[in-house]
Amino acid sequence: MKRNRLVATTVASTITLALALTACGGSGTGDASSPEPNDTGAAEAGNITLWLNGADTPDDLRQYLVDTFAKENPGSTLTIEEQSWTDLVPKLTTALADKANSPDVVEIGNTQAPTFTAVGAFREITPDFFEELGGDNLLQSFVAAGDFDGKHYAMPYYFGSRYMFYRKDLWTAAGITETPKTLADFVDDVKKLRTDDLSGFAIGGQDWRNGISWVFANGGELATVDGTEWTSTLSDPNTIKGLEQWQDMFKGASNLPTTAKDDAYWDFINDGEDGSPATGATIMAPAWARWSIGDLTTNDEGKTVRDGMADDTKFDIFALPGVDGGVAPVFAGGSNIAISANSQHPQLAENLMRIIFSPEYQKMLGGAGLGPANSEYVSSLGDDKFATTMIETAQNSKLTPAAPGWAAVEGANVYEELFQKIAEGGDVTALAKEYDAKITPMLNGK
Amino acid sequence: MATITAHGTQEVRQRRKPAAPYLLLIPAVAVLLLGLGYPVYWQIVTSFQEFGLAQQFGSAPPTFAGLDNYARIFSDSTAFAVVVRSIIFCLVNAGLTVILGLAFALLMRAVHGWAKVVLQIALLLAWATPVIAAVTVFRWLFNDQYGVINWLLVKMGLTGFRGHVWTATPLSFFLVATIIIVWMSVPFVALSLFAGLTQVNDELLEAARIDGANKTQILWRIIMPLVRPVLAIVLLLQIIWDLRVFAQIKLLQDAGAPIAETNLLGNFIYDLGMNRNNFGGAAAVAIFVLLLTVVLSAPYVRSLLKEDES
Repeated sequence: MKRNRLVATTVASTITLALALTACGGSGTGDASSPEPNDTGAAEAGNITLWLNGADTPDDLRQYLVDTFAKENPGSTLTIEEQSWTDLVPKLTTALADKANSPDVVEIGNTQAPTFTAVGAFREITPDFFEELGGDNLLQSFVAAGDFDGKHYAMPYYFGSRYMFYRKDLWTAAGITETPKTLADFVDDVKKLRTDDLSGFAIGGQDWRNGISWVFANGGELATVDGTEWTSTLSDPNTIKGLEQWQDMFKGASNLPTTAKDDAYWDFINDGEDGSPATGATIMAPAWARWSIGDLTTNDEGKTVRDGMADDTKFDIFALPGVDGGVAPVFAGGSNIAISANSQHPQLAENLMRIIFSPEYQKMLGGAGLGPANSEYVSSLGDDKFATTMIETAQNSKLTPAAPGWAAVEGANVYEELFQKIAEGGDVTALAKEYDAKITPMLNGK
Repeated sequence: MATITAHGTQEVRQRRKPAAPYLLLIPAVAVLLLGLGYPVYWQIVTSFQEFGLAQQFGSAPPTFAGLDNYARIFSDSTAFAVVVRSIIFCLVNAGLTVILGLAFALLMRAVHGWAKVVLQIALLLAWATPVIAAVTVFRWLFNDQYGVINWLLVKMGLTGFRGHVWTATPLSFFLVATIIIVWMSVPFVALSLFAGLTQVNDELLEAARIDGANKTQILWRIIMPLVRPVLAIVLLLQIIWDLRVFAQIKLLQDAGAPIAETNLLGNFIYDLGMNRNNFGGAAAVAIFVLLLTVVLSAPYVRSLLKEDES
C-alpha cells in the first residue's frame, strides 16, 4: 500500500493534484470513509469501474470518458462495463454491497434511485462537491430522486422524454390531416386508423411506462406520500379515468398482444426491409428512437440503416396532447449516476464525476440526443423539431413515486401485470382496488 | 462379516479400520461442507431473520424474527398457489418425461442400423442444446407474429391462431413450458433406460417367447421388472429437477407473460429475494422447497435403499 501511494504521489500530474485538492477541501465527511486517507491530497492510482446501462450512451462518449480519465489521472484507468436494464436492480443489490468488488460509479434508472439512496448504497455528494458539479443548474426533479434525508447521493445523468412518432402518409390517407389537439382527439384518431393489418397506435398491453401518461394527463397520481408513509392511489377517480381512457384506446387502436412491452416499437411504423407495409401508424417512444425510424439507406460504413426520418411527408412527430389541449405530462425517462459507498477509490470516482459534469461532456450528451443534466447545456440538443418537442415534453414530464420500495414494484413487474389485465378488458375499478392493496406495502419497503 | 479365527489378524484390523475410511472421506465431506454447508447454514439463519435491502447494505443490523417469515409467506394465498402449481407442474412433467423416455428407449431397442444411429444423435443433440438457446428457439416457434406454429395452424384452417399469443394465459404458458422441458429432459431418460434395457438378457426373452408369452406380457412381466431400478432413479431425478426448474420459466416470462400467475417455486424465490429484496422471506421459501424435495423423494429413496439391501 505504502509503495502504491508513493508511486501515486510521484506520477500525479498538476491537474490531478489541483482537482484532488479541491476535492479534499470540499469533502468533509467523505474523507473519513475513504479507505486510505492521503496526506498529499492526490488520489491514489488505481483502476475504477463505471457501469453504464444498455446502449443509451453512445460509443464515442464512452471512449471520451476513458481517454479523458486516463489523461487527467496518470497511472489510473477507467473501465466501462455495460449492464442490461432488465436485470439491473438484482445486480446492483449484490454488486454495490460487495465491499471488495463494488463498481465505483454506477448509472441507475431515475425511478430506481430512491430505493438505493435510502439504504446507504451510495456515497454522499457533499454540498461543495454538488456545487462544483453544477448545483442549482442540475435538473431538479432528478436531483430530488437522488436525495435522501436532506443529503445528495445520486446525480442526474441524462433526461429523455417521450413523444409520438407517426406515419404522416398513412394518417393523410385515412383523411386525418391535422395532428390531434386534445387527448380525446388523439384516441379518436388512432381508433379510426386501425384496421386488421394496421395498429392505429401500436402500444403493448404491458407497457405501463407509456400508459401512465394517460393517468398523469387526467390529473391522476400513482401514489401519494404523507410524511414518510406512501399510499398507492390507483383508485383515485382521476387515475381511474385515465386508466379507462387508456383501456378504451388499447382495445380500439392497437393490434399488439396484451403481453407486449415497451420494446422496439419502430418495427411497427417502418416499412419492412422486404418492402412489406408498416403495421402501425403511430408509436410513442423516447427521442432517440428517431435513429431507428425512416426509409432504408446505406451509411458511410456500407451498412443498411434507417435514415432518421429524412422524408418528412412520410414520417413526423408530435407531442402527446393534454386533456384540454397543450402537452400531456409524460413519464420522464432518464437516469441518475452515483458513486458507490463501497468504492475503493472514491477520489478517482469523484474525478470521473467531474469529467461527466464538465461542459464538454454535457454538450456531447446533448449532441447525442440525450438531455444533459446541466440545464445550461440544453441548447446542445439543437433547435430542430426533434429538440424542441423533446424539451417541450420534458418540461411537462413527471417521475414515478420516489418511494423507497419503488424499485421493488418495478422489479416484480407489478405494473406490467396490472396493465395487461386492464388491456384484456378487466374492470378498472376492481383492479385498481386490488393493486392498491398490493402496491402500498411494497412502496413502504414491506 | 466373515468370522475371524486368528486372534492376531483381528487386532491388526481393529487398529487400521478407523483411520483409512475416514481419511478418505475427508475431501468429499470438506467439499460438501464448503460448497453446500455454508450456503445452507446462511439460508437457515436468514430465514429466521428480518433481512432486506437495508441489512444487505449494512445500514441496519438483521433482527431475529422467529417464524415470522414462514408464517407470513404461508398465510399468503399467492405462495400457496405457487406451491400447488409447482407440485402439479413437476409431477406432470416428470411423468410425461419418463413415459416418453421409456417409449424412445424401447424404440431404440427395436430399430437397428442407421435408424438407431439417427435416433441416438437426435436425442444427444437435443440434450446438448444449452437452455438459453433451446428456449430462444421455442420462443420463436411460438412467436405470435412470425412463429411457425401459428403459421401452420392458420394454414390448417384454424384462423383463430392468427397472432395468437401463447404465453398470455397461464394454462397455455405452461403448455409451452412443458413442451420445452420435456423435450430437453427426454434424452437423458431415454438413454439411461436404453442402457438399462441392454442389460436385459436375450435368452430370458427367448425363454419367455418359447413359453408362449406375447409381446405385452414380455414388456410388462419381464422387461419392466428388470429395468425398474433404473426407472425409479430417473423418475426421482426428474422430480427433483422439475421441482427446481427456473431458467426455462424465467426466459419464457421475459417473452411477455403474466408473471405472478406463472411463477413456479424457483421464480417465486428469485422474485421475492432479488426483485422485492425480501431476503428473509426468500430464504424461508427456499428451506421449504428443500423440505418438499425430501418429502417428495423420500419414498423412492427408501425403496432404492431396500433394493440395494436385497
